[in-house]
Amino acid sequence: MKSGIRFGSLFLISFFLLFLCSGCSSDDVGVVNVLNWSSYIPDSVIRDFEQETGIQVNYSTYSSNEECLAKVSSAKEGTYDLIFPSDYMIEIMIYRNMLEKFDYSKLQNEGNIDSFYLNQSFDPGNQYSLPFVMASTVIAVNREHISDEIRSYSDLLNDKYRNNITLIDDQRIIIGMALLANGYDMNTVDESELNVAKEWLLQLKPNIKAFDSDSPKNFLITEEADIAVLWNAEAALAYQEMGNIEFIYPEEGTALSMDNFAIPKGARHREEAYQFIDYILREDVMKEIIESYPYKNVNWKTQKLLDSNYLDNIASNIPSYIIEQGIYVENIGESVKLYDKLWAEIK
Amino acid sequence: MKSKKVWKFFFLVPVILYVTLLIALPLLYILFISFLKSDYYGGMISSFTIQNYIDVFDQVYVSVFLKSIAIAGITTLICILISYPFVLAISHKKPRTQKILMTLVMVPFLTNSLIRMYGWLVLLRKSGVINQVLLGIGVIEEPLSLMYNTFGILVGMVYTLLPFMILPLYSSISTVDNRLLEAASDLGASKFKTFFKIIVPQTLPGLFNGSLMVFTPALGYFFITDILGGGKFMILGNLIKNQFLTARNWPFGAAISIVLVLVTCVFIFLYRKLGGKMDDLGGAS
Repeated sequence: MKSGIRFGSLFLISFFLLFLCSGCSSDDVGVVNVLNWSSYIPDSVIRDFEQETGIQVNYSTYSSNEECLAKVSSAKEGTYDLIFPSDYMIEIMIYRNMLEKFDYSKLQNEGNIDSFYLNQSFDPGNQYSLPFVMASTVIAVNREHISDEIRSYSDLLNDKYRNNITLIDDQRIIIGMALLANGYDMNTVDESELNVAKEWLLQLKPNIKAFDSDSPKNFLITEEADIAVLWNAEAALAYQEMGNIEFIYPEEGTALSMDNFAIPKGARHREEAYQFIDYILREDVMKEIIESYPYKNVNWKTQKLLDSNYLDNIASNIPSYIIEQGIYVENIGESVKLYDKLWAEIK
Repeated sequence: MKSKKVWKFFFLVPVILYVTLLIALPLLYILFISFLKSDYYGGMISSFTIQNYIDVFDQVYVSVFLKSIAIAGITTLICILISYPFVLAISHKKPRTQKILMTLVMVPFLTNSLIRMYGWLVLLRKSGVINQVLLGIGVIEEPLSLMYNTFGILVGMVYTLLPFMILPLYSSISTVDNRLLEAASDLGASKFKTFFKIIVPQTLPGLFNGSLMVFTPALGYFFITDILGGGKFMILGNLIKNQFLTARNWPFGAAISIVLVLVTCVFIFLYRKLGGKMDDLGGAS
């Protein structure tokens, strides 16, 4: 889901698109410019929305929160009407005054969202954002090749797994994992604690086959690696593809991420953006999305429509006790520098 | 006379515009922001500081520099070792065959390099074509680790950058006077000796040109280390990309870029010290 190998090319493309868009008339009604994660909403949902409302969706994607931030802040104000940043990025965008306040009178289906997921610390009172889906990290193990019991991150240090583990290419998540493994806060800014995490990761390094965020599930599917630390939906998709995969939520805790609807400041097609949000919040539409990309559903009406394939799979339907003890990546301001340096050291 | 001058200037305008708008201005902008401070929210604070340049010389980042230079150096060396025999072999062919073969060298450029890297993934991975064939005919019993390591990175780098070595080398080898080679062989020089005493000195400009064109991008091609190196290796390209994206520290990323430009300048300076001419770098032949 994350990382930005394609950032360069996307950047160029968006540059061209910018020129194209500045060429066409700017206040055309019936258009909505959506910027979303890649692999989050199936094309069929977009087409159905277009057919039902007559609104044309200009859809572009990003693969990390930072890429989203860079795109929105470097484009002309009003280029995008709807974005899907995660928790800590919402906080950053609110701080930078980049988001519009939600006008709830324009929405009808916001009541479908389970109140359990509302009112989070990054946006108290949901003034600027509404939850779309939730994700968590999980350890996925190919049980055809590996039979040992794995319950914690520290179990991954076993030298039997040499060159056999793939991790998400995300410094906050992976350094966070090392911190959790050592009993520290995942968002710590304490240098000595980070040093312990570094040593832990250096110890793990011989076991690491690759860091990949674009499609970590492929490492499992092609049997390139037998263990992966990845986002829950990726793990669930790997399971659909090959079966015989066990999901482990490590006892030290897991990283959570909540992706949200948000409207950037100066959006020119707000009405259409609200219509799009309302459409996605409809229980049947959300069901279609969740069935294609099995992240954790936050829509209580949809939850009643989903079948046992989804509900009984702990990788897609994350158990609530995991969510309660899960930890969000927090904005740590300047200390991100420490993480970045540590990342360069272990690579 | 005067109108001729005006015309000349007129034709220069696109080039001047191109160089100032697309090369000089962005570089100046990078230089400018490298002295600013990041607010770590993706923005910059306008206050003058040289802290970014001090940070570049932190031991962690220096080792990234050294690692990148090592990978780029080895890539260049392998490219030289492959290109010389190739170019020598081609230069003895008929002109028509030469043209066809050189066109073939450039054909891969028609496809996006990112897609070609994914092609290598299919070839090199554990369940990939090469391993399957070798396992099938019984040469190996365990799949070889052909990627997600330094080997994979070098395959990607050499494959992507080889044409940049072959092209300048080819154009300089075609200027070697055949009579010199004949004289050498008449005087009883071995092939080995002919190569080192005649061909190498005469193709030195092409060699330097090619080396710079391979070495410099090899420091920055982060998509190759990401895909074929499994994201486990950080070269300068990855480091700079991370500053602009994950660390949200544009000024530091800019400072690293400027140091990278300076490193490249040092290599060009060395090239001139060794007697290279700037004209040869233009690829004129």
